[in-house]
Amino acid sequence: MPKTETETPKMKPRPIVRLGIFLISHSLLVSVVCCTAGVLALLLLPLLAKNTYISENALMPGSASSMISNRDISEANRLASDLNGLNFKPQDSAAVESRRILTKYMSDLGAEVSYHKFHYKPNQFHPLHFFSSPDSTSSVKNLSCSAHGVNTVGIIRAPSGDGKEAIVLVTPYKFGKSGAAETLSLSIAYTVFSLLSRVTWLAKDIIWFVADSQYGEYAPVEAWLRDYHTPVFTGLGTLNADRCVKIDDPYVFEQKSIAQRKISDGFRRAGTMAAALILKVADRNAMLEDTLNIYAEASNGQMPNLDLINIVNYLAVHRQGLRVKVEKVLTLLDSRWLEILGQIFELLGKAARSLNPGWKFGISAADYIEGSATLASSLYYQALGIPTGPHGAFRDFQVDAITLEISPKVSPHNKARHNEFLLRGGRLVEGVIRSINNLLEKFHQSFFLYMLTSPSKFVSVGVYMIAFALLVAPLPLVAASLYADANQLDLGVKNTKSTPTATASDELDITFRSWKWLYAAKEVFLIHVWGAAVSLLPYFICQIPNCSPTSSSVIWVFLSMLSLLILYLIVGSPSTHVYISQSKEKGEWAILKSATISAVFIGLLVMSVVNFAAAEIGALLLVPMCLMAQPLKLDMKAGKLRSFLRIICNVVLGFIAFPPAAFFVVKTIFEGFNSINMGDFWNWMESLWAWNSATYIYIGMVHLPCWVLCLHILLHSC
Amino acid sequence: MMMGFKIYSLFSFKMSIFLFLFLHSAIAYSSHSSSADTTMHTNNWAVLVCTSRFWFNYRHMANTLSLYRTVKRLGIPDERIILMLADDMACNARNKYPAQVFNNENHRLNLYGDNVEVDYRGYEVTVENFLRVLTGRHETAVPRSKRLLSDEGSHILLYMTGHGGDEFLKFQDSEELQSHDLADAVKQMKEKRRFKELLIMVDTCQAATLFNQLHSPGVLAIGSSMKGENSYSHHLDSDVGVSVVDRFTFYTLAFFERLNMYDNASLSSLFTSYDPNTLMSTAYYRTDLYRRHLDEVPVTNFFGSVMETIHTDSAYRAVPRKMSNRAGINMAVEKSVQHDDRRTLIDSNVQDPTSHIKTKDQNCPFTRTMNTFFDKVERIEHPDSLVNYGLILMLPLLMVSVWLSS
Repeated sequence: MPKTETETPKMKPRPIVRLGIFLISHSLLVSVVCCTAGVLALLLLPLLAKNTYISENALMPGSASSMISNRDISEANRLASDLNGLNFKPQDSAAVESRRILTKYMSDLGAEVSYHKFHYKPNQFHPLHFFSSPDSTSSVKNLSCSAHGVNTVGIIRAPSGDGKEAIVLVTPYKFGKSGAAETLSLSIAYTVFSLLSRVTWLAKDIIWFVADSQYGEYAPVEAWLRDYHTPVFTGLGTLNADRCVKIDDPYVFEQKSIAQRKISDGFRRAGTMAAALILKVADRNAMLEDTLNIYAEASNGQMPNLDLINIVNYLAVHRQGLRVKVEKVLTLLDSRWLEILGQIFELLGKAARSLNPGWKFGISAADYIEGSATLASSLYYQALGIPTGPHGAFRDFQVDAITLEISPKVSPHNKARHNEFLLRGGRLVEGVIRSINNLLEKFHQSFFLYMLTSPSKFVSVGVYMIAFALLVAPLPLVAASLYADANQLDLGVKNTKSTPTATASDELDITFRSWKWLYAAKEVFLIHVWGAAVSLLPYFICQIPNCSPTSSSVIWVFLSMLSLLILYLIVGSPSTHVYISQSKEKGEWAILKSATISAVFIGLLVMSVVNFAAAEIGALLLVPMCLMAQPLKLDMKAGKLRSFLRIICNVVLGFIAFPPAAFFVVKTIFEGFNSINMGDFWNWMESLWAWNSATYIYIGMVHLPCWVLCLHILLHSC
Repeated sequence: MMMGFKIYSLFSFKMSIFLFLFLHSAIAYSSHSSSADTTMHTNNWAVLVCTSRFWFNYRHMANTLSLYRTVKRLGIPDERIILMLADDMACNARNKYPAQVFNNENHRLNLYGDNVEVDYRGYEVTVENFLRVLTGRHETAVPRSKRLLSDEGSHILLYMTGHGGDEFLKFQDSEELQSHDLADAVKQMKEKRRFKELLIMVDTCQAATLFNQLHSPGVLAIGSSMKGENSYSHHLDSDVGVSVVDRFTFYTLAFFERLNMYDNASLSSLFTSYDPNTLMSTAYYRTDLYRRHLDEVPVTNFFGSVMETIHTDSAYRAVPRKMSNRAGINMAVEKSVQHDDRRTLIDSNVQDPTSHIKTKDQNCPFTRTMNTFFDKVERIEHPDSLVNYGLILMLPLLMVSVWLSS
């Protein structure tokens, strides 16, 4: 049998197979090159950012002149002074009164006004709520009647529109205890609303939603959106909801009976939402000019369509002369190594341009630092998966929304300056609304997957994917190569001199050896199950009353280790490994490493679909550690300089890849050593699960188990 | 003697048959040769197409309506204008001025007045309908007002605007008209003698590429831009919030605003009026399929109208084509005399030299005499009297033959 094999001319495998085998046999070189290139590609992203452009033809921002008149502004000022006049009253009556004033102003404009009551319930850990759509049937029991808020909703119907679509303008407002800035945001919204009630060009209805922000800005918006999108057809739901708010009702009915206005207690709807703008005014501003902050990140790194940011940026910069900013990591701005890197890239760019004037990829070092700081913040907030404002609630319903935070240059008490600020803010919002009004379909033309490096520059998915792809590319190669080595498989590259004399026992040996990976796979699977259990533990820890974050995290760590120990005692008993331990050379740990790397590869790929930024950061931490991992014992025995360096690398990487350690290291770098607190990690994780972030699942079920497996390899007794 | 007469009568009979056949074939030949070259320009049609939808393409509808207004002002009646508008901007909810359409930010002229007759609107503006209009292949239920009822004496203006590219014109975001389709439709029109001359005017990006495949004679084409060029809008109306007119159309309209129905500006003066600097693109015109010199052709040949009136005795008797042509000539000559002082150009109804030569070739002496004979025969009003005279003539013949045979 073997003779005939050697005699038949060896079939040449197809080129793709040969290429694969070639890459696998040189997996060490490939992985070093790919990982370096992946990190480099990430650092190059600010250079590769493109200027934003308005992709959708229908938008035509800024093509129409603004129509806001002084009358709108003076009306808005009257509203503001009426609201400010209530500040001396006790809080409860002031809240009722301010709501009444607002309603009166709205309905005077001819808008349909309604109230929306909601019950505030803080976010809790629900193991089954990840990825599920917002739940309408969530039980309303155990609600304290005190924790409810009343939103005010005004709707202007488009005079000749079909009423199928709507644009939403949201202003968070603390009824009864608002500051000057909040009132200012209300006046800007009123200015626009007053204008829009008069114009003939509306094709979409306008909803002005004044969110009762006493329980935060997100909760009221989220509650309203849920009610908006899940109509209740039976009377039961409303009965339940209204149980607590009877006290407020009289003024509603009174108003109705007296004025016969279009004020209703029921839920009013307009069409599907084309887009939403959340308008806020920040208190003070150190800058010399009026600035506009744009917040866009929604849950799980989802972003609104880039066109929405584009039109806001275009109108703010080119029409209203505002300074537009997006979030950036401020500490990166004066970091030394980034500056050096920026200068290197600048030099390279100059050199390239001197070679060929057509190559224009170099940017100045200052631009590079700015871009990296913005990109880092973009990456971080997307990876976190927590919305950066109430716009996140809209994204959950597939509505494009962003938060505009305008901060005035001077205090809002200067009268002339105050009116000018109102005019600018109003014109900006009017321009954006008119532009969205021109839209014929949903936003779809521009990017949904992108990262901003400045308000007018972005890195699209096609570019930033490269960094991630390069990082994870070596994983399957290394896994295959390890598996081949451990099983002494001949891939046809090395010259095999093994004599083809197979005895029956060898045959058996080969059969067993080829099934050896099952043990490794079982171990990997069990550790992942353990990871799932660990990520469920906080649900029970939460039930413990009066538990401080620090003690919670200590309990969590303790329980996790305990469960790992139990798991090991039950299933990981050494007796099962008897047969494998006979194998020579790399043997068991190599198979285990191969299985681990495969698991990491699959986990990262799945995560990159759910939340790319989280997968990118995870890959940065996990991939080097997985590729480097080798039993410390082997390196100790070798005692060479190379092995010593490898030990150090392994230990450092193993430390950094541990999620809490990574968290504290990053925190120390950015905030200094003094602010370290054990409870911070618990709080951070709590925010992740409270916002249903997929990053939490990733950390619990991919990152942590893989870290444990790598640690297992490091400490392996071979 | 008797035999001799028989031979003679046989000969005369054969002769008459031969003559009859010859005459017939001559008539058939002359009717066949009356192709577009020789027929008179008897009427004008205009097909105006706006192919794009949606509010931000307001300017395309304004373009088309402006041209509609212009050709109407210059004399083409509504019944001979096929207007295709893809979208109704006037009643769009986004229109600040409901039921009005403007092509200038001064808002002086509402293009969407009371007397706008749109033949194809909304989703009716498709490539299929467009080609059906050109080729005249309609379903039976399509009313006459929606058909292009042109004939071999028609001058047709085909104006199209919208979004185009290299050898295509987009219809409503869902279809495309390719240059092949257009050329094919024009060829079919030519074969079905649906036009004498056709002016295709296209205002899109890369408009010139749409004419690449044309090869039917008598077609003149002008486009707003060359291959690789964009056609730009002229200005933005910040009150309405959209661009209201395209550059090419704007300057075309500016040219026509100075003209009235009786002006005789030539096509070449229109074509040279396009300045690439103000247009921001290069207007392209294709004349290789067109016989006449552009500076001899008044623009009103396409943008204005000639009306042919055919007088018929009875409503149900079909008038032969040949007769109507003659009537057309007479009328046109009268007309040209009427406006002779205004028109310096060579009248379009005067035939060009080549066609003269052809007609001379036909007129050999024999045919001429036969024609006069035929004419005389035709002029005899009472066929009964002819028969009577024939019978009376038979008597002497009979007498002579009797006398000879005896």
